Amino acid sequence: MKPRASGWMFAAPYLTLFTAFVIGPLIFGFALSLFRWELLSNVKPTFVGFENYVEAYRDPYVHQALGATLRFVWMAVPATILLALVIATGLNAVAGKRQGFWRACIYVPHLLTVSVASILWRWFYNKEFGILNALLRPIGIEIPWLSDPAWAMPAIVLMTLWWTLGGPSVILLSGLQNIPVSYLEAASLDGATPVQRYFRIILPLMRPILLFVTVMHVIGGFQVFGQVYMITRGGPELSTRSLVQYIYETAFNNYRMGYAAALSWILFAVIALFTLVQFRLMREDRS
Amino acid sequence: MNKKSLRLFSAEVAMGVGSLFFVIPCLLLVLAAFKPDSEIVKFQGFLPKQWTLANFQEVLGNPEEIPLLRWLFNSITISVSTATLVLTVSSLAAWSMARLRLPGKPIVYGIVLATLMVPGQILLVPIYLLLNTLGWLDTPLALIVPAAGGAFGVFMLHQFFIGIPKDLEEAAALDGCSRLSTFMNVIVPLSRAPMATLFIFTFVGSWNDFLGPLVFLDSLERYTLPVGIALFQTSYFTEYGLTLAASLLCTLPTFIAFMIFQRQLISGMAASGLKE
Repeated sequence: MKPRASGWMFAAPYLTLFTAFVIGPLIFGFALSLFRWELLSNVKPTFVGFENYVEAYRDPYVHQALGATLRFVWMAVPATILLALVIATGLNAVAGKRQGFWRACIYVPHLLTVSVASILWRWFYNKEFGILNALLRPIGIEIPWLSDPAWAMPAIVLMTLWWTLGGPSVILLSGLQNIPVSYLEAASLDGATPVQRYFRIILPLMRPILLFVTVMHVIGGFQVFGQVYMITRGGPELSTRSLVQYIYETAFNNYRMGYAAALSWILFAVIALFTLVQFRLMREDRS
Repeated sequence: MNKKSLRLFSAEVAMGVGSLFFVIPCLLLVLAAFKPDSEIVKFQGFLPKQWTLANFQEVLGNPEEIPLLRWLFNSITISVSTATLVLTVSSLAAWSMARLRLPGKPIVYGIVLATLMVPGQILLVPIYLLLNTLGWLDTPLALIVPAAGGAFGVFMLHQFFIGIPKDLEEAAALDGCSRLSTFMNVIVPLSRAPMATLFIFTFVGSWNDFLGPLVFLDSLERYTLPVGIALFQTSYFTEYGLTLAASLLCTLPTFIAFMIFQRQLISGMAASGLKE
């Protein structure tokens, strides 16, 4: 068969949508970030070059949102990977039909949509009548979960772990199941203890899938929005306001479209930077 | 008890204890929906002292202010339409790029793949302005159509299609099948599993989307469940019983679907991690 342009016909519907809703907005969004563009104001959009980026560089709220986002990623991602690995190892040790049952138990919280999960945990976290303080009070502890800036982010992270651990656990479990039994048997014959097998054989073989899961969660972590918006609205004292929430508020509460577009490109740059660093670290590790 | 069964036993115990952390909050949601408000705002034990259906009656009995069934209908319509559209356009595009010899294909496919790295939020503001121009804001189209430009489905199916032996399609072509009928009669039946996975993934993504409906929708009767439920927090925040009953009701369809499609969902997710 010769290359025939008519074959593009099949791809045309997708490519039209791709151009209209991905490539177009990407270019338009970047152009937008170079303008002062305020919806609902009489000022006409004006070209300002990189002024929005300069403003973001100086904006204390950007620093705060970036700090809160980094704090979320730093607290949530390592805990997610470590706990998911522990859960996957546990699931892997339970053989047969029961494994499916436990796996479903771990996965069940993720069936709750973000607003439901958040409403539920807001109720748990309530200082006066939340169940957590009700259970802690008899031993003399009362935690201001959502009203103290020091506790709010850990509270968000705890809820996020509960809500999202099922996914990575299932993925890591399938990684563990893909390790050839013969490797482990050979190691046993050579006298390796279970602990040695775990750290010398299983973990090194799991490295690619661990990288995949870590990268996905770092990317997802930088995009955190729903649970923060629902549980604390970014408070108290903006201590949990993430970058995405700041972008959302800039665009749809203050209608500063140009500035919001610039902030989104900064978010993209941060994510790209972290992804690149992780791949680099991993490659060096391998060689 | 020998060593092996001891290890199995301790693993089961550990899983049992560990999974309490995941299951108990869900049970609390179910139980609280049957509690009167007085028991919800003052912890008096896990089980309701007085079982009541009042919360459900109030949630379902007030469709003017709380159009829960309307939100459910919106969520279902939008998620099914999105998943169907994504599956249709992505599979045609993926197959033509995997199989047909197209001039300029590597460049186009390269660009499509590159956008996999782009976080959705970066498109939020420009798409909002675009939808505003199109007059699609506050309509289901705002959530359905832009989703079909995503690259994930094309990438995933492309990977699958290049693994199918070419002989089948060549045989079909020799028998005089047109390209479209080759696709429909040879490729689609062979690709049920990855297509089902893509459908489920897209459906779940659309069902749980929060930022999209929050930004693009405006009126109460057009909301989807996640945004509709979120509204409770501002309007009915003191009425926990009501909020939790609505939350439980809106989780039921997901729970039932999960029981039915559990295997497909989980194997699809597991496979997504194995491919790099």
